[in-house]
Amino acid sequence: MSDISSDDRQAMRDSFARLLAEQAGDKALREAMATPHGFDQGLWQAMAEMGLLGLIVDPDYGGIGGDAQILEELMEEAGAVLLCSPFLSTAVMAASLISASLDEGRKAGLLGSICDGSQIFAVAATGDGGLWSDADIAIEAREMGDGWTLDGTASFVLHAERADQLLVLARAGTALRVFLVDPGADTVDIQKLQTNDPTLRLSRIIFSTAQAQLLTGVDESAIETALDLARVALAGEQAGGVKAIFDLTVDYLKTRYQFGRQIGSYQSLKHIAADMLIDVESAASAARHAAKMVATGSPGAKEFVSLAAFACADAYRDVSAQAIQLHGGIAYTWEHPAHLYWRRARTGLWLFGSSDQHRETYLTCLETA
Amino acid sequence: MMTSSTAILSNDDLAAELNAWLDAHWDDQRRREKGTDRLDVKSWLGKILDAGYSVPTWSPEWFGRGYDSKQARVIDDILKARKVIGRSQDRYNLGAVTVYRLGSEELKSALLREMLTGAHSCLLYSEPNAGSDLAGVRTRAEWVAGKDGGEYIVTGQKVWTSNAKGATYGMLLARTDWDVPKHSGITFFIFPMQQEGVDIRPINQITGESEFNEIFINEARVPARNIVGELNGGWKVLQTALAYERLIMGEGATERQGKVKSMVPPLVELAQRHGRLQDPVIRQKIAQAIAYRQLNALNMKRAKAEIIANGSSSLMSLGKLAMSRIQHGEARVASEILGAASLFDGPEFQDSADMNFDSAKAYMNSIGGGSDQIQRNIISERILGLPREIEVDRNMPFRDVKSG
Repeated sequence: MSDISSDDRQAMRDSFARLLAEQAGDKALREAMATPHGFDQGLWQAMAEMGLLGLIVDPDYGGIGGDAQILEELMEEAGAVLLCSPFLSTAVMAASLISASLDEGRKAGLLGSICDGSQIFAVAATGDGGLWSDADIAIEAREMGDGWTLDGTASFVLHAERADQLLVLARAGTALRVFLVDPGADTVDIQKLQTNDPTLRLSRIIFSTAQAQLLTGVDESAIETALDLARVALAGEQAGGVKAIFDLTVDYLKTRYQFGRQIGSYQSLKHIAADMLIDVESAASAARHAAKMVATGSPGAKEFVSLAAFACADAYRDVSAQAIQLHGGIAYTWEHPAHLYWRRARTGLWLFGSSDQHRETYLTCLETA
Repeated sequence: MMTSSTAILSNDDLAAELNAWLDAHWDDQRRREKGTDRLDVKSWLGKILDAGYSVPTWSPEWFGRGYDSKQARVIDDILKARKVIGRSQDRYNLGAVTVYRLGSEELKSALLREMLTGAHSCLLYSEPNAGSDLAGVRTRAEWVAGKDGGEYIVTGQKVWTSNAKGATYGMLLARTDWDVPKHSGITFFIFPMQQEGVDIRPINQITGESEFNEIFINEARVPARNIVGELNGGWKVLQTALAYERLIMGEGATERQGKVKSMVPPLVELAQRHGRLQDPVIRQKIAQAIAYRQLNALNMKRAKAEIIANGSSSLMSLGKLAMSRIQHGEARVASEILGAASLFDGPEFQDSADMNFDSAKAYMNSIGGGSDQIQRNIISERILGLPREIEVDRNMPFRDVKSG
């Protein structure tokens, strides 16, 4: 558990929400998603100044020592406005992996560059299968003198085309380890992939005997911890996003008139809204509970991370899809935000494992409970 | 009416006082005795009532101690632990609570002691043509002159009444004015059940059980002084009575649903027994079914925390609708696990029989106590603030309203 008081947590959440309200509204979102790298560098620096990029980094390394619960809360705010940023890859996944390293000298520098916003990190954690599982890692690491080289392919890498540093999961013999790679090297071919969600940036990376440095001490369990933290963060983002698009839809049902009455007075529509509310609230409950279990180091954490992963992803998919339908024609226009929530929801269905995979993990946890 | 001091006691003092009183007066063994040594429930209920432990949140004037819910909890915990009969009637005795909250002083004097010492009551709300639309009741109550304000002659049919056999009173909703709109002509009575003209017939349910009754009322009588609230003001009384009912059911629901079971879920065991646990399609369905139950438990846990923090939670209203999806869904997955063996039934095929029973029983939640469709109206109107669907009969004299 973090030492941050609940008052301080609330204050952080409030100031983050204010920052987003000022700098990450619909207009800013559309500007950010039209840029090559898909995010607003100014907003990124503002987040660094607020200490948000070092949210989960230990205070000894320049962070503020937050836990999964505060992370989840802030992600709800980010999700509500469809924030475009490399936060998940840099401040969550990379920060978590590097924090587990025993290489004190390198660790301080890398974490410092995360906290002050000076470096963007990308994490290559899956292959072309996009499964985010051990079996899908298709990069071999070989020890060469006092360093390592990597060969193979990674895909679905967030923000790699803009990254200052790459963290790469690779096989070293039978073990899975994490390596630091210079994305600018000739042996690293980063191919930008076109995505359906305009707020998403993905790349495929081919490593051809690329020079790499082993992040010592980061083992399979540290990798799983980082991925689970990313799943909690994503669940929080989805819980915030699904609430926002739901609220927007309910508002519309109250203000749109057809046949002389508010369309929200028709049971055919309001009953759908009632069913959606169960999914919206279940997503929030699942994300928050998973965050709490992770923050307290509960042995049942895996079960609840898996539950949150599919419950939030599926709720977002279903509610955002219905949101377009309930809005009708207006939401079929590019200018209306509903499709951006729908696209983000469809993105989340596949990042860090699919709902089917998470359901399988969830059941396995229950069988062995 | 009560002997104990109503001065504010600390929780510890209260517990000590109650335990001492129970040591002196309560003997759990006597419940199991036979013959003359057996506990006389009625006189015990009178004793605990007069001691102020049965309805502690009520006023001292009416058997209570004027306690807050925390003090009442102290009493309830002890009575529950010592298996004492007659605890927390201010929460669980719906008939008595309705009379206490909404009845006249005269009615309270006439009925409360009796209702709190074993005379139980049943609900006479729903009718064959007034289910979801409860304000459409057609049971008629007609006034005839007599002493003490006269009486009403009641004729009609009520359904879905549980605990009707042996009930002393029925909380009756009847139409007393047919020339005003439907909500304005209904009166709420405490109706004596043990009389000529009241015929109770059990309903045979699709589960094979028989928990409910139909009540045929033919020119039965109820004194005018047994009206709760105003004549023709029964709809308002009903709303309050229903709110208490929901509160009681809701408390039970949070207590039940808030508990997360750590044992292996029954669907996993069922699949194991039938060799289906390795089927990946079945595994997905089992996981999703369990997840719905778990998510509802997490929602109810949040609701409980919100109630403690703010006094209320809109999440509470989602539980019943969510439970329908859970129960129907679990029964469907159980059937998919069993495959064609779903066709079997009876003691030789216990898993099939259980699944078939659960499949039918799931309708109890999705229809009873306000159907899923009514719940969706309530959620969308009261929580989301969406407008009501237009009601064509809202302002029409009731005798002109179509029924069928």
